[in-house]
Parts: sequence; C-alpha cells; structure tokens
Amino acid sequence: MHPFFSSKSIFLLPKFQNSTMTIHTLLFASLLIFSFIHSCRGGNKDRLFTELQNLIEVTTKPMQDGVVLEAGKDMVTVKWKLKSSAKVDADATFKTIQVKLCYAPISQVDRPWRKTHNELLKDKTCPYEIVSKPYDKTPQSLDWTVELDIPTGTYFVRVYGIDGDGHEVAYGQSSDEGRTTNLFSIQAISGGHVSLDIASILFSVFSVVSLLVFFVKEKKKAKLEQRE
Amino acid sequence: MEVEGKGGEAGTTTTATRRFALPVDAENKSTTFRLFSVAKPHMRAFHLSWFQFFCCFVSTFAAPPLLPIIRENLNLTATDIGNAGIASVSGSVFARIVMGTACDLFGPRLASAALTLSTAPAVYFTAGIKSPIGFIMVRFFAGFSLATFVSTQFWMSSMFSGPVVGSANGIAAGWGNLGGGATQLIMPIVFSLIRRMGATKFTAWRIAFFIPGLFQTLSAFAVLLFGQDLPDGDYWAMHKSGEKEKDDVGKVISNGISNYRGWITALAYGYCFGVELTIDNIIAEYFFDRFHLNLQTAGIIAASFGLANFFARPGGGIFSDLMARRFGMRGRLWAWWIVQTLGGVLCAFLGQIHSLTWSIVVMLIFSVFVQAACGLTFGVVPFISRRSLGVISGMTGAGGNVGAVLTQLIFFKGSTYSRETGITLMGIMSIACSLPICFIYFPQWGGMFCGPSSKKVTEEDYYLAEWSAKEKAKNLHLASQKFAETSVSERGRASTHPQT
Repeated sequence: MHPFFSSKSIFLLPKFQNSTMTIHTLLFASLLIFSFIHSCRGGNKDRLFTELQNLIEVTTKPMQDGVVLEAGKDMVTVKWKLKSSAKVDADATFKTIQVKLCYAPISQVDRPWRKTHNELLKDKTCPYEIVSKPYDKTPQSLDWTVELDIPTGTYFVRVYGIDGDGHEVAYGQSSDEGRTTNLFSIQAISGGHVSLDIASILFSVFSVVSLLVFFVKEKKKAKLEQRE
Repeated sequence: MEVEGKGGEAGTTTTATRRFALPVDAENKSTTFRLFSVAKPHMRAFHLSWFQFFCCFVSTFAAPPLLPIIRENLNLTATDIGNAGIASVSGSVFARIVMGTACDLFGPRLASAALTLSTAPAVYFTAGIKSPIGFIMVRFFAGFSLATFVSTQFWMSSMFSGPVVGSANGIAAGWGNLGGGATQLIMPIVFSLIRRMGATKFTAWRIAFFIPGLFQTLSAFAVLLFGQDLPDGDYWAMHKSGEKEKDDVGKVISNGISNYRGWITALAYGYCFGVELTIDNIIAEYFFDRFHLNLQTAGIIAASFGLANFFARPGGGIFSDLMARRFGMRGRLWAWWIVQTLGGVLCAFLGQIHSLTWSIVVMLIFSVFVQAACGLTFGVVPFISRRSLGVISGMTGAGGNVGAVLTQLIFFKGSTYSRETGITLMGIMSIACSLPICFIYFPQWGGMFCGPSSKKVTEEDYYLAEWSAKEKAKNLHLASQKFAETSVSERGRASTHPQT
C-alpha cells in the first residue's frame, strides 16, 4: 500500500482534495437538480383565504356531546350544503368538494407547524382530509370515524368548494369566524403496547447485566495477570 | 488511504517482547494510519471506537427526524421540543468531563463501553413514553452517550503519534459524528418499513427506536471483546502488573483545569461542534416546516448536513496535520481560526436565504467548514497537556455540548425567534466565540500572532513542568518525556528555533 501523503509530497494534496470536491459537487448538483424540478412546479400567484366567499353551510355533530372523542372509535356526523343566502348559480364553478378537519386556535398555541396563514398554499390550519368527492347540489351528510393518526386536540370542520383547476373558490366551516364556537375534542391513541414495554425492559436488563458480567471478567483477568 | 508521519519505519517494529504490525514511536504509538487495516491494536482500536461513537450519535439524534410524528403522538409544543433538544445535549456536558477522568483511571475501553451499555436503556424506553416529560427524560439520558467522544479522542491519542494524531482524531470523530446525519436517513426509512408491515404511525415510530438501541448495545460488546486500551495492553492488567503507574486523580484534574488553553478550546469547540449538534436537532424540522417537504425529503436534506462529516471532519484533522508539518503549531492555530470563522459567516447567511435550492447549497458548504473546524480543534488539543490529556479532552468535549445547550436555550426555545433568525444569530455568536483562539500561546512554539518565547523554552520544559520534582524522582513523568520528544515536530519546517 503506497502512501497518499509523505512529508515530501504536498503536491499530492490536490489529488485527495479532488475526490472530496468531486463527491461534494455531485451531491449538491443532484440536490440542485431535484430542487429546480421542485420549484418549477407551481409558481402561481398566492391565493388567499380572505378572497374566498363563505358560501357553504357546515354543521358537525359529535357522536356524544361534551365528551372527548377517541381516535379510531368515535364518530362525527358532518353535514354540508350551499347556503340559502347564496346567489342562484354561485356554485356553478364547483367541481369537487373537500371536507377537512381543522385545528382550533387553542390547539395551535406554541405549535408553529399548525399556524394559520392567509396564503392558502402555506396555511397549516387544516391538515387532515375527511373526504373529497365530486360536487353534489343536494345537502350532504357523512358519518366520519375519527382516524387513528389524528393527534389530541380541539377541532372544527371546514369544507372547500374547488373548481376544475383544483383551486379553492369558496368555503364553509362549522365554527364562527374566530373559530371559537362549536368545537369538539379528540383524544389520540397512545400508540404504545404492552409488548413494546416488555421488550424495552428485557433489552435494557440485558445491556446492564452484560456490562456487569464483563466487569467481573476484567477484574478476574487482571488478578490472574498479576499472579503471573 | 494511508497517512504517514515523520519517523516512520518500514516493516514491523519490535519493542521488548512486543511486535506491532505498524511502525511505532518511542511510546509504541503508531506513526502511520492505514484506514483499511484492522491490525491489533492500533487500527482495530480506531474502527471499534468510531463505530461505537457513531451508534451513540445515531441514538441521541434518532428523535429529530421523526419529530413531525412524535410531536403529534405526544401532543408536544414547540417549547417541549426545544427543551428536549437542550436536554439531549446537556446530559453529556457532565458526562464528558467525567469521561476524561474515567479514561485516565480505567482506560477508554471500559469507560466507553460502560457508558454505552448504561445509556442503551434510555433508547429502548423511548418506545414506551406517553408524555412530553417522558420525551425530555429519554432524550436527556440517551444524550449522555455522546461522552464516548472523549474516550474516542483519548483512545486515538493513546494509539497514534503526533504527526498523525490529528488525522486519527479527525477521522474517528468525523465518522462518529456521521451518526447524526445517518440517523436522519435511517430513522425515516425504518419508520416507513415498519408502517408497511402494518403498524399505525403512532406505533411504528416507537418500534423504530429498537434499532439504534440494539446497535448501541452490540457496538459496546465489540469494544469490550476486541479492543485494547494501550499499545502495550489494557489499563487494569497493566496497573496490577506495575507497568502503568497510577496517577493522583486530584493532581490530574487540577493540572488540567488550571491550563487556560483548555478553557479556550472548550469555548471555541462550543461554537463549532455546538453548532453542529444544534443543527442536528433542528434542521429536519426546519426544512419540513419552512419548505413544506415531506418527512423523507426533509430527512434526506437534513442527513446531508451530518453526512458531510465523512470527509469534512477528517479533512480538518488532516489539514491540521499538514499545516503542522510546514508551519508547526502556529499553522494549526491559524487554520483552525480561519475555518471556524468562515463557518460562522456561512451559518449567518443560511438563515437569510428564502429559496430551498440555495438553502441546501449554503448548508452543505457551511457543514464542511463547521465540521472541519471540529477536526482542527482536536489537532491542537492533544498538545495542550500530556499528564491531563483526558481532562483537557473532556473539558473541550463538554464545552462543545455547553455551546449547543446555550445556543438552543437562547435562540431555539419556544417561539421567541423564528428558526431562520435563530440560525443567523447562531452564526454571529460563532464568529465572536472563535476569537479567543487568537490567545492560545505555547511558549515552545508560539501562538497565532507571536513566535516562540525568547527564553528558548523546549517541549520538554513545557510538558515536564506538569510534574513536581518529587514525582519526577519517582519516575512518574516518563510518558510525558517520551511525548515531549515526539512533539518536536510541532515546530514546523521553517523554524529558527535551535535544536537542543
């Protein structure tokens, strides 16, 4: 094995540097390409929530009032229809209806990843989709079982009317403008299992016990060597 | 890859009754570094120690890439997450200081394996946590394992001689730190595999933690079974047989903490390694939240920061050794200060960038500089003290974590500063805390702005000053004597200092 370096050949340094440089260049070139593709999509003018009209009437009724709903078990009945106060063909552009589960302000406190932004693309208020279906003029109703991956929190429901281009054109929500009324609470599953806890204990005990075993062996070995 | 220092000899070397596969110096430390060898004891020690350290890093930073899931399962707030991040790096402040002394007393093999095995339970118990407090506690205790850094540096400094110690330290630490990057890739992949097997999100992340836990346990076994403390044998065996004299713990500690250089390296390391730890904690969430990426993509980008350690930190160590060859210790100090300051500048930039592409580009360049600075730090540390090498390594390593704790406490807790602003401010603080490097001065070699002392202080004077006349009478200082002889290489080539 011949040396890359020796005290006489500092001029071999560029050779080593080159391979570092090459790999770094490849790494960020590939990331550049990836990001370029990513940023090429979209690039529309930012659509704002405040530009949407509140045309849809949404009501929610939890399975049991005043009780915290359990994820995976309890249900919420969601009903939506076009507001009677809306103009005659205000819903002409609606192609799809999207029903989403949204955080109430109390669940957004000190959690910047759930923040409400006016720009629709940036808005993180409503991350969970309950259902998305083609628009039907008749009043709709849905019994939705709270899914297993919904976190603990306080929620309301918002419905978006979406046009053929996939852009939101109108909305409705089960709560008021300040999102303080008619909220319901959900308790998430813990995700833990007894088997996991037992496995944790077993592996931990194994680690500590084997450490003690090694220590004892070391002491014995040292004593033996001393005697020699 | 092979790195060779001065004093290399061809073929095998015998000293008394021992034979080594690599050429060695007066202390039986290897004078070369052969990456692809696992020869006992030098290269084997290298591979065992970096791998164990790597596993500890994977475990300590296993939570951040999965935070988008964990924060929903445990109902964490930004404050909880910030506190857990601080907890993860604060435990090992104390542990690193203690580890230095433990290595001096018990040897790096036992000290590191003991720590690794006793912190593995924290990783296993992560699977069962149900609340923010539980989360903070497991991250706190798992984080203690980062003290294996000190044992790695100590072990490398015991196995490799002056001209190659920077490289050995840099590569071992770099490949250990790699764990902080690898985990950002590994954990999301393990998580999605487990999900595919049918587990819900909130269960899958829990099961995933058994992987880092197991690796940590197994790496400790490997160290215990295949490792050796010193080229000549193990500490305990050598203590008993009288070969290695036991030193006075109190003296070792007081000698170490009274050396002002150790405090400067501790502060400076806080702002290269501390910055690296902070970024490991926050970068995945930063990309996930700011640029609306999914878990896997954010993980890949976050990983590329830590993965740069594969080249960057070793590069720093090797660069330090190269500078020493030409310019001696002064070269090491200059290189360190320049690289670290530039790292701070790039960090400040990173927070100001709005586009995803440029954020990634700047982050990658920044990662190279900040990690190289870590490597350059430990090119200097082995020369600060010989008697209290463990204490100085421990102080410096602990300083790294203190930097991470302080930075996260000031800039990344709760919602006071946006993440972007926090990153910029961290860069500025980094530049400021690198300035004290200018004040490190070795009377035998000089400092950044001053040459060696006009009193013609030699290496022997410097290192033997750590021992009293009584101790010298008992011949306790012989290891330092040998070290002083080999450290003459730190004068550099263009030296006006007369050879004694």
